[in-house]
Amino acid sequence: MTDTTQAAASESDQETSIYDELPDAPPKKKLKLTWTGKLGVIVVAFWVIIAVIGPWIAPYDQAEILDMDSYLPPGAEIDSGGTHWLGSDNNERDILSRVLWGARMTVGISFFATLLAYLMGVTAGIAAAVKKGWIDMILSRINDAILSLPTIMLGLLIVVALGSSIPILIGTAAIIYASSVYRIARAYGQEIMVMDYVESAQARGETIWWIIFREVLPNAAMPLATDFGLRLVFVVLFISSLSFLGLGIQPPNADWGSMVRGNLEAMQYAEGWGILAPIWPALAIASFTIAINLIVDDISAKSGGDLAKKMI
Amino acid sequence: MTDSRNLPTIDSLSGADREIVETGLKRGATRREVMTWLMASGATIAAAGSIVSSAKTALAATPKKGGKLKFASDLHGPSDTLDPGLNTSTIDYSRGRSVYNSLTQINDDLSTRPELAEEYSANPDNTEWTFKLRKGVKFHDGSNFTADDVIYTMSRHYGEKSTSKAKSLVADVKEWKKVDSHTVKAIMKGPNADLPVILGTPHFKIIKDGTTEFQKANGTGPYKMTEFNPGVRSICVRNEHYWRDGGNVDLIEVTAITDPVARLSALLSGDIDLMQGLNPKAIKKVESTPGVGIWSVASGAYFGICAMTNTSPGNNRDFVLALQHIQRRKKIVKSILKGQGTVGNDHPINIAYGADHCSELAQRTHDLDKAKFHLKKSGITSAELNVAEVAPGMTDICLLAQREAGKIGLDLKIKKVPNDGYWGAVWMKTPLNVVTWNMRPTANVMMNLAFAPDAPWNDTLWKNERLGKLLVESRGVKDAAKRHEMYCEMQKIISVGSDDHPPSGMVIPAHRNYVDAKSDKVEGIGRMPLGSLGGYEWPEFAWRTDV
Amino acid sequence: MQRMVIQRILIGLVTLWVVSVLVFIMTSLLPGDVASIVLGQAATPETLAAYRAANGLDQPLIFQYFGWLANMVTGDLGVSKAGGAKIYDLIAGRLGNTMFLAGLVALISVPLSVALGLLAAMYPGTWIDRSLTFGTLALISVPDFFIATFAVLILAVQLGWLPAIASVAPENTFWQMARGIAMPLIVLVIVVAAQMIRMTRAGILNVMNSPYIEMAILKGVRRKRIILRHAFFNTIGPIVNVIALNLAYLVSGVVIVETIFAYPGLAKLMIDGVQTRDLPLVQACAMIFCGTYVVLIIMADVAAILANPRLRNPK
Repeated sequence: MTDTTQAAASESDQETSIYDELPDAPPKKKLKLTWTGKLGVIVVAFWVIIAVIGPWIAPYDQAEILDMDSYLPPGAEIDSGGTHWLGSDNNERDILSRVLWGARMTVGISFFATLLAYLMGVTAGIAAAVKKGWIDMILSRINDAILSLPTIMLGLLIVVALGSSIPILIGTAAIIYASSVYRIARAYGQEIMVMDYVESAQARGETIWWIIFREVLPNAAMPLATDFGLRLVFVVLFISSLSFLGLGIQPPNADWGSMVRGNLEAMQYAEGWGILAPIWPALAIASFTIAINLIVDDISAKSGGDLAKKMI
Repeated sequence: MTDSRNLPTIDSLSGADREIVETGLKRGATRREVMTWLMASGATIAAAGSIVSSAKTALAATPKKGGKLKFASDLHGPSDTLDPGLNTSTIDYSRGRSVYNSLTQINDDLSTRPELAEEYSANPDNTEWTFKLRKGVKFHDGSNFTADDVIYTMSRHYGEKSTSKAKSLVADVKEWKKVDSHTVKAIMKGPNADLPVILGTPHFKIIKDGTTEFQKANGTGPYKMTEFNPGVRSICVRNEHYWRDGGNVDLIEVTAITDPVARLSALLSGDIDLMQGLNPKAIKKVESTPGVGIWSVASGAYFGICAMTNTSPGNNRDFVLALQHIQRRKKIVKSILKGQGTVGNDHPINIAYGADHCSELAQRTHDLDKAKFHLKKSGITSAELNVAEVAPGMTDICLLAQREAGKIGLDLKIKKVPNDGYWGAVWMKTPLNVVTWNMRPTANVMMNLAFAPDAPWNDTLWKNERLGKLLVESRGVKDAAKRHEMYCEMQKIISVGSDDHPPSGMVIPAHRNYVDAKSDKVEGIGRMPLGSLGGYEWPEFAWRTDV
Repeated sequence: MQRMVIQRILIGLVTLWVVSVLVFIMTSLLPGDVASIVLGQAATPETLAAYRAANGLDQPLIFQYFGWLANMVTGDLGVSKAGGAKIYDLIAGRLGNTMFLAGLVALISVPLSVALGLLAAMYPGTWIDRSLTFGTLALISVPDFFIATFAVLILAVQLGWLPAIASVAPENTFWQMARGIAMPLIVLVIVVAAQMIRMTRAGILNVMNSPYIEMAILKGVRRKRIILRHAFFNTIGPIVNVIALNLAYLVSGVVIVETIFAYPGLAKLMIDGVQTRDLPLVQACAMIFCGTYVVLIIMADVAAILANPRLRNPK
């Protein structure tokens, strides 16, 4: 059993570092990916590259309305020459081009929103764990309040109040998902704060910042990284839910979620293979999020269940 | 003379031809259009005429009684109301038409016929209207309908405390007077020939004297409401004591399905019989699906892009001209509206208003050179347009404009804003925004609402005193030629302007039909162009063929 | 444990209050007010003023909030500012609908996903596990409106097996009811079960790494028996928590499913409330959602304690 051997291996390294006593200690061995994990890495890398170069390799501009018809089937030829390799969308734009452009929006926004959620959530969570008392009380109640409201409702409230723009969407998603991150970070923080070595550090007179950066964060890093992947997926889906309500990414910018939403009607009344119009962006979302999850699965083979406890 | 017995009827046509004729007639093609088509395929005038007549008779079969009807609108919520004065949406108007009656009823050609008012007439200069009320009409609670109910209903549209949405439409009436138990008089502030048609619109449904609670509806209409659950559904059953032969089905269920794809799915799967608001892109699908069909009524409803005249860039006439010349009006009608609309000429009065439409006015066309010229003259290179999907196709129209603007070097940014809150926070408040207007009963009412210098809903805050003067004067003019001349001048003022008086700042690229869909088993839907499904008139007249 | 429950209830009450303040602040930030939205395009300054006066909207917002809070404490939910209907009437039927649907979904999805999660954990790396992993991942990864619309087009429009829209009319027979609710039920079970299957599997596999399981493995206990006898009970805590969160989602977060199936539930009502700026309505819904969340989390905690001897008998 590979799991047993790995555990045994890390036990034998015990003397090398004080951290290894911890149940949450990051695996010391280089992460070994299964073939599904490797596939995940390849797909994510592909989309990240597309996010960077997409606009240059796309045959058309994302906003270009080509004078043909909406929901043309894949491979349809354009009057002015050229081909819609994936067909045309509800506004007679080239779907392939929009999927390529959309990578930047979807991958970029979800990445930055998750990053921001982590900055906020981890800061507040660790602060609550370290400071305790009324700071913990206030932060935790606000956090409970945010968690108890449906995400889509909160998103609606914020986006309607402030208008839908990319920075606001990133901020909104970040605030909403920071609350989950907060819980995890706080739980890890609390657990680590009562560890002997932290208490001894406190006894040594180390500052709180030293403890946070040297003791708490490194120990919580791996499980948090696992959660990062999952959170990224939720952000992608959250933004597409907002698109369902008409509040997502604004035209002419392409993002996969709003492309699915905008072309959903094609499944009902497009002719021939034009009905595939919403499938392409849905495939893009699915491939990206599944790939992330495959990687996460591999990383979390050890820390996942423990994480599950703290995600609540 | 040909012997009429030897003339062919609709039954003599082959399957495909017959279908074309019937579909054409069902979709509202005129007799002449169908005859032209028949004659093009070889029929004589007499034969074609006979075929069309027999087809029309076949279609206009006698209504059958019985069955249930389920209608799905596009919007509903906690703000659904049975208070006619506060009615806002198709769902409200449709419910209102089921349970209430108006004084007058609007015909498909926008003339009027009697409803609760048996007879109505004006004095010679149109300053005083007398309405003789029908006797023996009872409200659902059993009480008699009298002049007091009319006076009470009308009083709710006046005064500071009135929340009526149609206040301005009857602001012309100085006083409503009860003459006797079944006669009322409207004393006007000035001549107005349009009062009867205005009173036929949904907000003037007659309610019982003294009603202040609208959780239940007490009207005189063909249906009684047995369940009203705002944002969920309502159920009406036939009023067995209705004062005329109306109300064909036993029960009407009214609900809304907000998601357009889901709404159409419900119609296609037979879960509903009538639906409001069909995306033009779905027309082909609906027409090719057996058992369902579209119901498209040409109207004067329009899409508008409003360039506010009190601020930049809308106060720059050249900028507006550039915006008008980049509109691909034909393309909008063809691809965005899928033919269910007509091109606009940057004023609100299209051919649906009949004689008041100014066909002499030159049609503005897509002309990038002119647009470029005016844009250069204006010195403006970028602008932000606030867009909400106020009617299906609005966003697409703006995206198309954005693309064309790029071609002349104008960076037209599109800021998409949510529909809710749009009318309060964006419309008439931001420099460039969009609007849609439903068709109004007359050209005068339309322009008076949205273009008169003192109109509260003047989209672009544009003031033109000459237009205001013409609007008031034309109400009293009886000479048709003179009247047409005046209306033409008004349309020209709005669209083209003159050297001293800039035009309105409105870009009106297209007028849209009301496009709805229904099951083939439902007949009796009218073609009145003031709203969805024949001006919301269907509840009284619709019937099922399968009972 | 009693102390813990009481403490949790108190914290829950504080959370409820925080939610009401939060919702109040956010609602007051929204552009436009009830009057301007209800009157819409037809609003004029006079009609706006008249509407506001008629519905008590001319008072400062903060007064409206405290008025609402005072009424709420006495159990009076108030009147919808948008249509004048009593909020109790608007909510009562919909709360029933929401609970009915959520209950049915839970009844089907919880046993289903725990069973499938166990199955995947029992045979990790096999084709059963792999196909479950891929299947659930695929379902989680696709927007729910896509799944819902797809299901309607296949099951209702193409095959005509089920109605395209949900129907929970009181006059329906049981069979009509079952058919009427089938579509949203199917879609929600798919969406919710996918999450729970993954969490169950992950939870159990994690416990499988702990020393006492390794010991059992070394002792030669069969894997199936280890999972069912040892690992499962130690995983109940996290699994129950995941279930609780998913149930909270079923009560409050199914806006999209409610929209697509025109199912008259609470989530859509709250969205409508936000869209019409109907403060009392939004607040009432927020209270229900928050209350449900608090209750479910407390129940999950109690369940976790009961399932875990170490927590049941603290040192």
